[in-house]
Amino acid sequence: MFSGMMKILKMSCEDVYPLISESQDHTLPFSSRMRLKIHITICGLCQIYKKQLAVICRVAKVIGKEDAKILAESNMKPEAKEKIQQWIEKKR
Amino acid sequence: MSNELLEPQKWVERYADMMYRYSLVRVRDSEAAEELVQSAFFAALKSQNSFAGKSTEKTWLFGILKHKIMDFFRSSKNTISIDPTSDKKSGLIKFDSSGHMIQKPGDWKLDPEKTTENNELAQVLAQCLKGLPEKYHRIFVLKEIDGISSEEICNEFDIKPTNLWVILHRARNQLKQCLESKWFQTK
Repeated sequence: MFSGMMKILKMSCEDVYPLISESQDHTLPFSSRMRLKIHITICGLCQIYKKQLAVICRVAKVIGKEDAKILAESNMKPEAKEKIQQWIEKKR
Repeated sequence: MSNELLEPQKWVERYADMMYRYSLVRVRDSEAAEELVQSAFFAALKSQNSFAGKSTEKTWLFGILKHKIMDFFRSSKNTISIDPTSDKKSGLIKFDSSGHMIQKPGDWKLDPEKTTENNELAQVLAQCLKGLPEKYHRIFVLKEIDGISSEEICNEFDIKPTNLWVILHRARNQLKQCLESKWFQTK
């Protein structure tokens, strides 16, 4: 029991970082979940890191939307559009 | 062969730019993005009869484009190497010998719940995405942007889940570092 607690408390941020990332991709095993939870509770830096990854995850979804305005300045070249338009007019 | 529910003559005007930007985020190369839009329109024109009006014209066209993008990823997957076993502990975040961060992460002072409204931040992240190595970019796009399951990505790239998690971890770290230098440090 005592050695188990010590193992949890001895986890470094370097050990925890990959677990924070992984926890976004799959359900961690119970022991890892507990270790992560306890470490994050007492470590302000890992709390910040966890929040940063959550921000990246959320903003990435915005970028990928069909009507995303993020790259609004990036339009298709007029000549490429004209070529497709002509092809459609011919084939439809 | 025409379908009265569709208006192909208006596709370019209505959707070309939108579909181009959608492709560009995913493949990063403007020529490849153009070709994808073009091939999606061509495929749509050929299969007009399959459109039954159950979805909107836009949704249907984007469905075709998504297939084209996946085909593009499949056709070029052999040209990118995915070797997550090497360089296992690499990363831009440096730790000291006791496993503590040498450079502390900056507090972005952002509520993740509200970041979806931050267009400026999204633009910087889009720029940062361009800087990811090809393999990281592709896997990050499929997982985080398109929400493809880990299992499907592992099958596509023939990698183990543990390797996938390592790649995603590294990609997120690179993006985090990029955001800190390009956005948060200037705020």
